[in-house]
Amino acid sequence: MNFPVWELPMGGGVLMALVSVLHVFVAHLAVGGGLWLALAERSARRRSDAALLSLVKSQSRTFLLLTLVFGAITGVGIWTTAALISPQAILALIRIYLWGWAMEWVFFIVEIAAALVYWYGWERLDARTHQIVGWIYFVAAYISLVIINGIVTFMLTPGGWLENREFWTGFFNPTYWPSLALRTAAAAAQAGLFVLVTAAFLKRDDARVWATRRGAVWVAAGVAAFAAALPWYRSALTGAIPDWADLAAGAIPVLPRVVTIMWAGAAATFLLALWPLAAPRRWHPAGAVLLVASALVLFFGGEWVREAARKPYTIHGYLYTTGLRVDQEPQVAAAGVTAFTRWRDPAATTPAERGRDLYRAWCLPCHTHDGYNAMRPFLAHRTEAEVADFLSRLHHMRARMPAWHGNVEETADLAAFLAADTDRGAAVFPADRGAAARLAWDAHCGTCHTLDAYRALRPSLAGNSREDFEAMLDLLPDLAAEMPAYGGDPVERGHLLDFLTDAAGTAEAAGDRSAR
Amino acid sequence: MNPYVPSPEVLPLPAPAPLLAALLHLTFLVHLLFMNGLLGGGAILLGSLFTRGGDRELHETVIERISKLLPTLFAGTVTFGVAPLLFLQTLYGGFFYTSSILMGWPWFATVPLLIVGYYAAYLNAFRGRRLGDRRRWTVALSIGCAALVGFAFSNNTTLMLTPEKWSRLYFASPGGLHLNLGSALLWPRFLHMALGAVAVAGIMLALLARRERADARLGEALVRRGLDVFLAATVVNLMVGFWYLLALREDVRRLFMGGSGHATGLLGLGTALSLVLLLLAWRVRSAPTHSLKPLAWSTALTLAVMILMRDAARAGYLAGLANLQEIPVRTQTLSLAIFAGLLLGGIATVVWMVRKLLAAPPR
Repeated sequence: MNFPVWELPMGGGVLMALVSVLHVFVAHLAVGGGLWLALAERSARRRSDAALLSLVKSQSRTFLLLTLVFGAITGVGIWTTAALISPQAILALIRIYLWGWAMEWVFFIVEIAAALVYWYGWERLDARTHQIVGWIYFVAAYISLVIINGIVTFMLTPGGWLENREFWTGFFNPTYWPSLALRTAAAAAQAGLFVLVTAAFLKRDDARVWATRRGAVWVAAGVAAFAAALPWYRSALTGAIPDWADLAAGAIPVLPRVVTIMWAGAAATFLLALWPLAAPRRWHPAGAVLLVASALVLFFGGEWVREAARKPYTIHGYLYTTGLRVDQEPQVAAAGVTAFTRWRDPAATTPAERGRDLYRAWCLPCHTHDGYNAMRPFLAHRTEAEVADFLSRLHHMRARMPAWHGNVEETADLAAFLAADTDRGAAVFPADRGAAARLAWDAHCGTCHTLDAYRALRPSLAGNSREDFEAMLDLLPDLAAEMPAYGGDPVERGHLLDFLTDAAGTAEAAGDRSAR
Repeated sequence: MNPYVPSPEVLPLPAPAPLLAALLHLTFLVHLLFMNGLLGGGAILLGSLFTRGGDRELHETVIERISKLLPTLFAGTVTFGVAPLLFLQTLYGGFFYTSSILMGWPWFATVPLLIVGYYAAYLNAFRGRRLGDRRRWTVALSIGCAALVGFAFSNNTTLMLTPEKWSRLYFASPGGLHLNLGSALLWPRFLHMALGAVAVAGIMLALLARRERADARLGEALVRRGLDVFLAATVVNLMVGFWYLLALREDVRRLFMGGSGHATGLLGLGTALSLVLLLLAWRVRSAPTHSLKPLAWSTALTLAVMILMRDAARAGYLAGLANLQEIPVRTQTLSLAIFAGLLLGGIATVVWMVRKLLAAPPR
């Protein structure tokens, strides 16, 4: 609305996710790995173990190359990308947390300088000074995490900041401490991962066994602590976001799936760590590759949970992903969306062209045509009139869509663009009966309901016949004022009736669908 | 009023604008010193790798010294680049973000470019000689990436000043593939920065020579090599600076030609300082044992004046569009005080560590 929207085929969110997951993965490693280096060097020196000291030194070189280059630059990359994708949010965040970021920057400098001095100091500094520098690195890195955690959790649960606009109220927000516990545990696990991955490629001696066994303990203990802290985090979320249970039950469609992804990643990482724990001498590079993959799944799931739970806001309860502030909504409702769409093409004259400008401002920040959060699958099954009707009901949808405040003309313009832009050929259903039935459900009933969880429909379906559903589909607006009339063609209608009939008769076999 | 200039952010600034501007300039100065070392030092290194110098020992020393420093210069450039970017976004976020979005892909590309350039610098520092003939291409890759990042910045910082161009670019193609190549300002600005970097790196090379205590002849040769680079780059850069002045939009140029006492004074001071630098450099070049301190400090001062000139030009371009004095302020005193304390502590810690390292000879 205020800024132009960068049109990316795969969606801005995907690019953001790619950069941030890679960064967060290395950033946690950079924190935990610092502690590992300090402790391992101390052990090696106390035991006068030259082989171990040489192992730690070789690890510190990998550490330097990984964290100083990839970790630091992708950290800058998160900023660069976030400002491209959510400029209004970054603008607001900088005003709120400039000094938070400035403090973090100080620790960033100390961290980078310490990492360099630590590496170049192996041959030059005395043992004591070298170890002090190692500890300086770790403390600076951990405080960076402590600070960034405040800003990241603020975006999801700003808590009392919404009332008093105070820096520290927002910083120590409702999910601050449980999130810090999760991230600390993740940093420990990542340190273990770093040890296991580097050790896997070293020559097999006692130092390698020593490190491998400890790395495995760090991974297993870190993941276990992460899992143990999750209920605390969930309870903080429930307190801060009153309808969290609904969101987790599928009010945000993707959320149950990403929670599963996170758990799967955690379980796989934990189980893989048992291998080097039980047989450190047999630890193998193949295991290291699998370990990195599983930990990436864990981070991917974990960060995605946080992102998905925040929808449709970038700062929960304050700023929508479109860049509209919540307190601006009444003005938009009164004046219409065009007045709040800064980037309108002066050459746009037809309804569809005007609609394209509205689409970019109000849909594109979260959606794509065919990429992530694609709109085409839904639009392909709706006529222009249905799309227009649907727009006025967006806020009833499952995905916590914000209300559409367009007036009649603006709604018609947007619908004209969306319908014109839709390849009607995509409305063809797959040959597989089950898949076709699922698609018919997803495109209509599934936009607002699930079968067994959030706004569960199955209980209402039970006991009805195909003929009953046939009659019901024509009476939807009579059942509830929010329900749009059903306008599917006979083919789609047949698929939807298949789905409803199956769902009504197969309650016990529905476990796999329950979350959707 | 240009309809595409974003409405100002409603949340207040967390400190008065002049303080934020001062921090922007100060941190940018440190960033420039590292960036000049990186880009200019990289250029000198490349020049050495692609030519056969007459003095073999001097030639090798230049290559080895700069190669070893390059990764640390990368680290410093990035680390001290973060802070001015932060303050720039605080003050001019609306403009900077819009131009960034218009050049989305080239702007995003700065991230992978930095990663590749940085790794190439480490490859050269760690493997150096063992790379054989590939060494020069590794360095070319590293410095090429860094230069492209600089070029992207020049594009962005000129595009952000010209909102009148934005809508035409965006509606022609909203996929973020634009640069600001049509801008009269782009090339003189980029060249002025790049040549300035080479000049400053020349002085850094001369300063580095002071560490060659063991070999006086080599030390003097290094000083002369550094100052030759400085003199050549600065003479050319004076002309580029003139081109830059001519390329400014007319109303902004007039500010520097008497329209504004502040801008005109800065231009006069900057030009005078450049001439003083040439004289000082010439003097040390003729007698390489002379102190480099006056030259080094004058260079830092000149850079500071250049930064203020850029700021005056930016204010001229955005006059009427961005008025920093009108942004509401709610100073976060406690957070600001904590930052200030941490900054002092952080600097002390870094100084302590670096001194410990430099005091200890390689074993």
